Amino acid sequence: MKNFIACCSIFLFLCLPAIIVHAQQRKITGRVLDDQAKPLPGATIVVKETKTATISDGSGRFTLNVPARGKTMMVSYIGMQTKEIPLGGQTDITVNMQLLPGNLNNVVVVGYGVVKKSDLTGAVATLKGSDLNKTPASSVDQLLQGKIAGVQVTTSGGAPGAGATIRIRGASSLNGSKDPLLVVDGYPWGDAGNLKQINPEDIASIEVLKDASSAAIYGSRGANGVIVITTRKGKAGQHRISFNTLQTKSFLSNKPDVWRDPVEDATYANESAVNGGAIATDVPYIGIYRPVGNGMVYFPSIAELRGLDPNKPQWPYNTNWVNLVYRKPYSQNYTLTADGGNEKTKYAISGNYYNEQGMVIRNGYNKYTSRLNLEQQLTSGITAGTNVILAYTKASGQQLGVGRSRIWPVYDSAGNYFRNSNTDFGNPIALANQLLNTTKTTDFMGNLYVNFQINSWLQFRTSINAKSGNSIQDQYDPKNSTQRALDNKGSYGSIANGNYFDLLNENYFTATKAFGKQHTATLVAGFSYQKTENRFSTLTGQNFINDVMKNENLATAGTMLISNDLQRFSLASWYGRGNYSFKDRYLLTLTARADGSTKFGSNNKWAFFPSAALAWKAGEEPFIKDLNIFSELKFRGSYGLTGNQGISPYQTLDRFGSAKYFTGSVFETGFGPGLAGANDEQGRTIVAGLGNNSLKWETTRSLDLGMDIGFYDQRFTISADYYIKRTSDLLRLKTIAPSAGYDQQWINDGEIDNRGIEIGFNAAVIDKADLTWNVGGMFTKNVNKVVAMGESNQVFIGTLYESVRQQISTYTVGQPMFAFYGYKTAGIIQSLDEGVKAGLTGVDAQPGEIKYLDISGPEGKPDGIVDSYDRTIIGNPNPDFIYSINTNVRYKQFDLSLQLYGVQGGDVWDFQKMTPSRWLQRWTPDNPSTEYPRANGTRGWRASDFYLTDGSFLRLQNVTLGYNLKTDAVKFVKSLRLYLSGNNLYTFTHFNKGFDPEVGESGINNGAYPRPRAVSLGANVVF
Amino acid sequence: MKKYRFNYIFSGILAAALLAGCSKMTEQPYGMINSQTYYKTPDDARAAIIYAYSILPEVGYYSRGYYITTELPTENLTQKGDAGVGNFELDELRTTSTNPDLDNIWTYAYRGVARANAVIAHVPEIPGMVEAERNQITGEGYFLRALHFFNLVRMFGEVPLRTTTIDDASQIPMARSSIKEIYDLIISDLKAADSLITQQRISEGRANRPAAEGLLAKVYLHLASSKASGSPGYEFVANADDMYAQAKLYADKVVNGQTAFAFTPSLPDIFNIDIYKKAAVTEHIFDAAVDRSGDREGSFSKLPNMFLPADRPMTIPYNQLKPDSATIDIGQGWGHFRTEPGIYFSYADNDRRKTQLIVSSYTNNGQTYQLDITSSSRPFTRKFIDPERIGDASSANSPIIRYSDILLVYAEACGPTAEGYAAINKIRARAAIGDLQPGLGVAAFRNAVIQERAWELAFEGNRLFDLRRTNTMEKVLVQQYGKTITSGAYFFPVPQREIDTNPLMK
Repeated sequence: MKNFIACCSIFLFLCLPAIIVHAQQRKITGRVLDDQAKPLPGATIVVKETKTATISDGSGRFTLNVPARGKTMMVSYIGMQTKEIPLGGQTDITVNMQLLPGNLNNVVVVGYGVVKKSDLTGAVATLKGSDLNKTPASSVDQLLQGKIAGVQVTTSGGAPGAGATIRIRGASSLNGSKDPLLVVDGYPWGDAGNLKQINPEDIASIEVLKDASSAAIYGSRGANGVIVITTRKGKAGQHRISFNTLQTKSFLSNKPDVWRDPVEDATYANESAVNGGAIATDVPYIGIYRPVGNGMVYFPSIAELRGLDPNKPQWPYNTNWVNLVYRKPYSQNYTLTADGGNEKTKYAISGNYYNEQGMVIRNGYNKYTSRLNLEQQLTSGITAGTNVILAYTKASGQQLGVGRSRIWPVYDSAGNYFRNSNTDFGNPIALANQLLNTTKTTDFMGNLYVNFQINSWLQFRTSINAKSGNSIQDQYDPKNSTQRALDNKGSYGSIANGNYFDLLNENYFTATKAFGKQHTATLVAGFSYQKTENRFSTLTGQNFINDVMKNENLATAGTMLISNDLQRFSLASWYGRGNYSFKDRYLLTLTARADGSTKFGSNNKWAFFPSAALAWKAGEEPFIKDLNIFSELKFRGSYGLTGNQGISPYQTLDRFGSAKYFTGSVFETGFGPGLAGANDEQGRTIVAGLGNNSLKWETTRSLDLGMDIGFYDQRFTISADYYIKRTSDLLRLKTIAPSAGYDQQWINDGEIDNRGIEIGFNAAVIDKADLTWNVGGMFTKNVNKVVAMGESNQVFIGTLYESVRQQISTYTVGQPMFAFYGYKTAGIIQSLDEGVKAGLTGVDAQPGEIKYLDISGPEGKPDGIVDSYDRTIIGNPNPDFIYSINTNVRYKQFDLSLQLYGVQGGDVWDFQKMTPSRWLQRWTPDNPSTEYPRANGTRGWRASDFYLTDGSFLRLQNVTLGYNLKTDAVKFVKSLRLYLSGNNLYTFTHFNKGFDPEVGESGINNGAYPRPRAVSLGANVVF
Repeated sequence: MKKYRFNYIFSGILAAALLAGCSKMTEQPYGMINSQTYYKTPDDARAAIIYAYSILPEVGYYSRGYYITTELPTENLTQKGDAGVGNFELDELRTTSTNPDLDNIWTYAYRGVARANAVIAHVPEIPGMVEAERNQITGEGYFLRALHFFNLVRMFGEVPLRTTTIDDASQIPMARSSIKEIYDLIISDLKAADSLITQQRISEGRANRPAAEGLLAKVYLHLASSKASGSPGYEFVANADDMYAQAKLYADKVVNGQTAFAFTPSLPDIFNIDIYKKAAVTEHIFDAAVDRSGDREGSFSKLPNMFLPADRPMTIPYNQLKPDSATIDIGQGWGHFRTEPGIYFSYADNDRRKTQLIVSSYTNNGQTYQLDITSSSRPFTRKFIDPERIGDASSANSPIIRYSDILLVYAEACGPTAEGYAAINKIRARAAIGDLQPGLGVAAFRNAVIQERAWELAFEGNRLFDLRRTNTMEKVLVQQYGKTITSGAYFFPVPQREIDTNPLMK
């Protein structure tokens, strides 16, 4: 698109001098700036009455001779709204250009080409890099939240350097990847979610391919949708250097709900022990010594904590862990860019330094990225270019808990980290200072392309793309510092290495030809070959002599463990697309891709993904045009197939396992059938390794019906889509008879259904020279359902939670993915009689306990006993709908923008429900609460709807106030913009105070990393 | 120029397309062995049998699962209050088909069968092997398959009799075989092992000729006593006395026919890692072997933690009869298993298997603590301890065939003969409880041996099968020890996962 604009500019620049009429009246100088207050070279400035014209230069400046009868100046630029400026007495005029809202002539990047927005037949959303919120973000993924209809972006906390979960039109795989395919400058990179290698400020545009028609050209990787990122390129006719910086201070957005008073904490702990049946000496706070290591630790009594024990002094400690663990971190971001070019050469160079401090002490993330983009016209028909990206990141530290009792000090009397038992690993200051946890990554991406313009209608493009990188994670847990250290014979050190290499060759022809006045056709046809290799190795040491060297010399460990692995796979593809337009009103697109993958079984090596789309530009029909209502009216429909090849390599082959066995003096190694893999929910090793020659991709059949409407010259636009996505041949680990010696085998069966509505709108409410007001928004509703899973009606997924002794998330036929499973409850039991009548026994029937309901039994009806038959689907973490509102107001040099993001419906399983402030309201005989149970340290609760809370929220996501300095105010500076940006400012919700309701896709609150409230000061300077 | 360009482009395209389009996109695995690349050399054969052994000390088998399944139902062990539901079902003899512990032991035994089948199927085909080694390894494969099926048939009764390797999912459906068919295979496998394995002792953790003969004696004794007592499912056995004779024949080969393994006079020494792993002659004919230097549970054992109370690190005298003798630090555990009063009070007070092998008091930091049989931290067996353990990693082997076990098999098979009395009295003498009353009838004598086995082999996973094969589950567990039996007295239910996934299981 940029190239197209640049070409047009050059054309105009060359031709216009000839038509400029030289008349000696009045001389006006001025400057044209874009919507970001950056100079706009190549804009056309015409005196309306006389057609006298000129072009702005590289810094946006122009000089115009205005004849006497010239009264109005028109400034135009492709993609911008044309401005008319009455010529008064002034001789120096600054023109602020605005982007045309939803301009129909804008081009949109789709797979293997570009298409005019008005000619789109599929569901493609587009977002400009400049529309991203100005807030610290290590990757662009989280900035997409609330920006595009049909795209759900979830972040599960605010850990520095964290990515995001992106779902386009719902999740459509049980076990394969649910992430969209990410394509950067035409190069398919893999799963979206953490695009740390690209500085968000380098992004020119983001296109999201949502339906089968647009995504089918990515074949077996297109089923989850495609995100196409286009980086900024240099423009001809300008040379500029720009410097952007963002300085950010962050604050806790939720005040942690911890015990405020050690007496309340100790009272609760004692009550919990007593109710749990602890013997007298096991009640914690009774003024008693307990052994720790070789010494003893004194547990004060409640009277001492109160200072009321006549024989003991007031307990001296009251540690505020929140203040010790959390800080107000300061983060910085700097980008320096040089770009520009002439008609033959275009370049863009940029470098970025990003430093994000975590909310938690000694936790942070650093990133350096640099990018070079160069394009050279070699001959009149041949253009060659390259794009090179380098990225380095370093993350260190970890999340720490703040729930530790205030009764305990940080250090003991000898100055060592205090611990109250041999297995007390909860001192966060000890963990922060003792544990080593650093991850460093380096990435390199490069591509080289040559474009041949063979004749006026045919071109060919070939490219070589490569990307490689590595990551190293260093970890060390000193002696007896963590449970992991204990489990690893005392101390644990490791070095984990990963590296990858990916090579892609793409070759495709593009032919565009008009036949007569009514027929236009574009054909794309090509071939690609991609080869990927991922390599991992981990070195682990257990049981070190001392902690001096940490993980620096793992060979000194008592026990050493080594593991390494390599995955390699290749993908060969043929693809093609035909666009046909009749009378510029009736549009047809046919797309297909054939993918051959080494990952597929020998019986199913090649997959074929066709799609078709039709669009009717009704607005171009004379009878509608005559109505003079619509500036655009288009109806679209598409149907097609896309795939998901989310299989790990080698799953189609039989694979042997290995194990060691001790034979008296040494461990010997054995091999045989049955590959020991991951552990299941009982901690048992799962054995796989039975090959499946027929294993193949998942297939998604999608139907999309949409329309685009525009009014008032596109000042008001609406796009709405309805879709049905039916995914079949789901990749699934089938449970096989254990007597065969195997547990699982990958097979294809089962179906998922997603259907929904998405609406995006934009309105330029006020559009004056000095004042503009724009309002945009989106609404997304997706309904997800598991239709079939072969012989299973329900599978449990995710972590086995010790506290409730079961997995809580399920895939259940007829239910949405991640549906929660457990008991239903009805408040709190108030008397033993009530508990027993409810079908409960033992401690579960006691007053003050949660009243679980007897809803079924072995016969399918209530049997008077609350047992596992009474479990059922109790909740759904998928939201009913998500929505957002974006608005911005510009008045002269000032602009103000605001984004609201909301999620409605969706249950959260809140494992943090019983916060200290709620424990204060717990059931006691004197306070017969109907909401919160009694303290009891030894009984475990069951998985039940007691934990479920509505996760709806509306967040004031971002507010930015900007000021664009008047140009020419500072010498050598072409433009200067200063802005203040606030992120995550306020959340309207009924969720548990102390926690953020946005907890991730599966809707489980385990106390995620706190999400910061960030206030940033930014500056963009162009020289 | 244009023409040249076209040619250039098209030849390039064609070359690239041919390169990939015509390739079959076959996978080239990395870091992975499979049936295409294995069973080629004698070293492959050795590694195949090592893999077959390595299932034994896994968590789900002899490092934990076997003891959970076989000890909880008896009067020996119960479990801590927050143990899993599967433990409670076993302990209270009300097992269901969804019991996770039974699913576990079923799964691990069949994994062992699959690995043994791979040895039996492939090792005879490997070219270039020395015949003696080929026989030995194949024989060990037969031994292991027999052991797994003996466990399966004693636990579940009729089960699928898998004797071939599984190469394709179509082989998975398989019906149950009768108990007779299963025993026929076990006996023929053990006879094959007995003839193929010629060595008396190979190394720690590997089966040898006495192991094959000892296991065969146990198999015949199981058939004999099941038939004699009318235990359910064993009606097919033609003649109990023939089976007793066979049991005696093979037990005799172990008791009197070899010198690699023998009776250990001192009880603590039997379970002393330094002795049973290093001495030339020990009681441990066949163990699931582990070592604390291993890199994961299964290579080392955490079984001691299951027995040891969780309160605090413990120090005990090596010989508890001599409180002043050298002490050993045995650490602390999880207190998962709790000794039941039934077994604890059944011992005579002076029975050394109680006074020397059960820890009832210990010291910590100079202070002495008594363990109470009714509390959560109870007296516990010290058969599984490792004073040198590193963290949770212990070298405590799980004995599968112990000399004293076979000696008692011999006594029971002989009946009240001189040899029979001599065998049982040797055991009783070591326990310092005096000779068995002479002149007992056949049934009374054999009952006495069963009781002797309960004391001698307590916590080693024999008691459940002794009760089942003597048809005394109700008599002993219900009438004597006051338990209730709801289901699974003689055969546990086959796991639901098998029924759901194997269409021929009904």
